[in-house]
Amino acid sequence: MTAVTECWNYPLVQAAVWSLLTIGLYLTAKFAYRRWHRWWQMPLALAPALLIVLVWLLGESYSRYHDAAGWLLTMLGPVTVAFAVPIYEQRRLIRRYWAVLSIGMLAGSATAFLTSWGLATVLGINGALRLSLLPRSISTPFAVDVSRDIGGTADLTAVFVIVTGVLGSIVGGFLADRLPLRSALARGAMLGVAAHGAGTAKANELGTEEGAVAGLLMVLVGMLNVLGASVFSLFR
Amino acid sequence: MTTRAIAVPLRRKFHNSSLAQVGLLFLVWLASDGFVRATHAPVPSGIVGLLIVFLLLSSGKISLRSLRRGSDWYLGEMLLFFIPAVPAVTAHPEFFGLLGLKLLAVIFLGTVAVMNVTALTVDLFFRMEARRDGRD
Repeated sequence: MTAVTECWNYPLVQAAVWSLLTIGLYLTAKFAYRRWHRWWQMPLALAPALLIVLVWLLGESYSRYHDAAGWLLTMLGPVTVAFAVPIYEQRRLIRRYWAVLSIGMLAGSATAFLTSWGLATVLGINGALRLSLLPRSISTPFAVDVSRDIGGTADLTAVFVIVTGVLGSIVGGFLADRLPLRSALARGAMLGVAAHGAGTAKANELGTEEGAVAGLLMVLVGMLNVLGASVFSLFR
Repeated sequence: MTTRAIAVPLRRKFHNSSLAQVGLLFLVWLASDGFVRATHAPVPSGIVGLLIVFLLLSSGKISLRSLRRGSDWYLGEMLLFFIPAVPAVTAHPEFFGLLGLKLLAVIFLGTVAVMNVTALTVDLFFRMEARRDGRD
């Protein structure tokens, strides 16, 4: 038993085990969701839930888990770079509808800002926690930057980003069926602006045009909010 | 043996390899990250990399086929890279209670509002544009 414990405490063993567990749970959830299509089987819901249970059962701390599997988070940086390809492929669509998409993006961002701030205030959530809630519609790499700039807490923002993504994909699928929307543009914009990466994955399930618009707006909203945050932090 | 005889099969191999293309995207990101750190530019590294790749594609310096598989893979598996952030909640026991419910309410109601506003705004202006184009 002590030999196992000793072995377990090697950073390299920790890194290998937690990384493989994270990837394995992700693949399992992805397979289950593809097969049975239950909302709770979404990779971004099921895999983290099981991970939390595991971290807790093994009596580990988040910082130890983060040291071991945190490199996967680094891989989010190049994801933004990868968006250059679908954006380039959809350049005609963008040139055609840039005005409509910009208006939608501004309206969505303003709503995100006002509702987060307003609802938090009404429910008595103040200070750094309220600030950490503001950038939650943006995908993690940007959101974490923005959160730091405006005085939020980066790791809390990352959690809010993910909860937003999961809830957004569920609500978005529901709304896409029920709102009287004429265009793929509107469905894609809704998911990209409100629910970033997870929303974009959901939009890709709806159609290629929805997916491209969602991916584009997710990146643009990110950039808009990075700019907005620098202005915001000047007045804070 | 000409350089062409080596370059052509190599290029074909690159066009079929998602791994090599993911590697290329990663290298671009590393370079832009280095640039941002060195210059203290107030832009996220990912955005710089995105602009670089977009310009390379637009100017024809790099073909779509050299990146499509890599970017498809990356965007398809994107959610994996979000997962390791979630166990952060275990470091915040205060979230497992009333505060957690309040935060969920803010996020849920906020997200529903953003979705409705964005979708209906885009659709409204889309219809206005379509009607205007129809008259022209």
